[in-house]
Amino acid sequence: MRTLTRSAIAAAVAAGLGLSAVPALAKDYILTAVKPNKLLVVDPDAMAIDKIIEIENGGPAPLTLIPTEDGTRAYALVNRWESIVAVDLETGEETMRIDLSDKDTRVKAMFGVDLSPDESTLAVYESPVEILAGEMQVQPTRISFYDAETGELKGRTEAPRQITLLMYNADGSKLYGLGRAVHIFDGQTGEKIGEHATQTWERANYSQPDILDVWSQWETANVLSTPYYAARTDMDPMNPEAYWTGILTLDLETGEFRMKDVENTDIFYFSTAVSPTDKDIVYGAYTQLSKFDVGEGKPLKRVELPHSYYSINVSSDGSKVFVGGAMGDIAVYDAETLDMIGQIPMPGGANMSLATMRVFQRDE
Amino acid sequence: MKHLKPANAKAQQFTEAAKDGREEEVVAMTSLVGCTTSFDPGWEVDAFGGVAALCQPMEADLYGCADPCWWPAQVADTLNTYPDWNADAPAAQTDWRKLNQVFPEDKG
Repeated sequence: MRTLTRSAIAAAVAAGLGLSAVPALAKDYILTAVKPNKLLVVDPDAMAIDKIIEIENGGPAPLTLIPTEDGTRAYALVNRWESIVAVDLETGEETMRIDLSDKDTRVKAMFGVDLSPDESTLAVYESPVEILAGEMQVQPTRISFYDAETGELKGRTEAPRQITLLMYNADGSKLYGLGRAVHIFDGQTGEKIGEHATQTWERANYSQPDILDVWSQWETANVLSTPYYAARTDMDPMNPEAYWTGILTLDLETGEFRMKDVENTDIFYFSTAVSPTDKDIVYGAYTQLSKFDVGEGKPLKRVELPHSYYSINVSSDGSKVFVGGAMGDIAVYDAETLDMIGQIPMPGGANMSLATMRVFQRDE
Repeated sequence: MKHLKPANAKAQQFTEAAKDGREEEVVAMTSLVGCTTSFDPGWEVDAFGGVAALCQPMEADLYGCADPCWWPAQVADTLNTYPDWNADAPAAQTDWRKLNQVFPEDKG
């Protein structure tokens, strides 16, 4: 993570110089949202809501959220996912709005939005539908690039269907799209330049892997991860041991791509997140919270959660795991023991639903 | 057209489109239309044939599936047609009594 690197350097310099007065270090915050239209800044150390920002025409709920590196601004997908707003996280002011639709074309951005590492450009995966007098015509899906400051359209290119997530690599030269493959696009033009096979993998005696992920939550380790599910085709389909859960990881700094089985499928995970201090350690959440070693391909620990959660993230120092989404709280767990540290209730118990749960840092 | 009177909504659209020279845009439907490309049946059973792997409680999953039109039939389409269906019920676990059925608007 960019900010982790900065804070880690600051800590190392302070330690190396033997400074008694440690310079300001970055502190973790969580950016998330609840229905119908609220952005929330959460302080996980204080286990409290730090700020609530209401988005005009934000319903049915803000979806994909992207904080800037310094934690002063954020972008949010709102307005039935037809608009993207920039919001000042300190004043709550809306500073920019991109309306994707016009009177002739309805454009939805279903989840896939990312901010380039230099914070100049928003990449948006768009599904347009032309509204004619008597019917609607589905148009080709596309990636659009918008100026992150002004909202001006800078470029647009057609892209494969069924992409759910977009993510830039660390230097912004590539843009990845998670769909029926991990598509690799040029970070400037959106032109497809390659892919990592998932549904068309050629793994002997395995079915196609099943992947569905809509949560942008890779920032602390800078590694995308997502669960996949596949069946052994050389085993009796009535044998529960024929079914396997695996973890896909894509390192956004090195480009390393892995798909590693981790356990027999006896439960599901909606989403996973990678530890920033050990990229082999991955946590998965749904109705249970699990910890895996994807290097070894094995489960390490599993605990029951109070209810089902969609999303998961890891603190910048790797010490805490946050689970959220679905209902109205964020639960905080010790990353080593998976013991619950506490739950942070959302205002009025409002549901986070599909909103992403991003970890960002601010200097204290 | 002066001797023909539109008898349904599609015919009315055609009549109105003809005034603007856009009648080519009004065509008969050739496929089922919903707000979704998913035909997931919804809450009934999980992949193991039981219910333990469904969201617990089911209210946890209600808006995550309803809002993106994951379930095409069971709940209202908040993305397009009924945007305010759950606007006054942000906490499904306590507000579910406020969720009502919806009906198509009369198209004349």
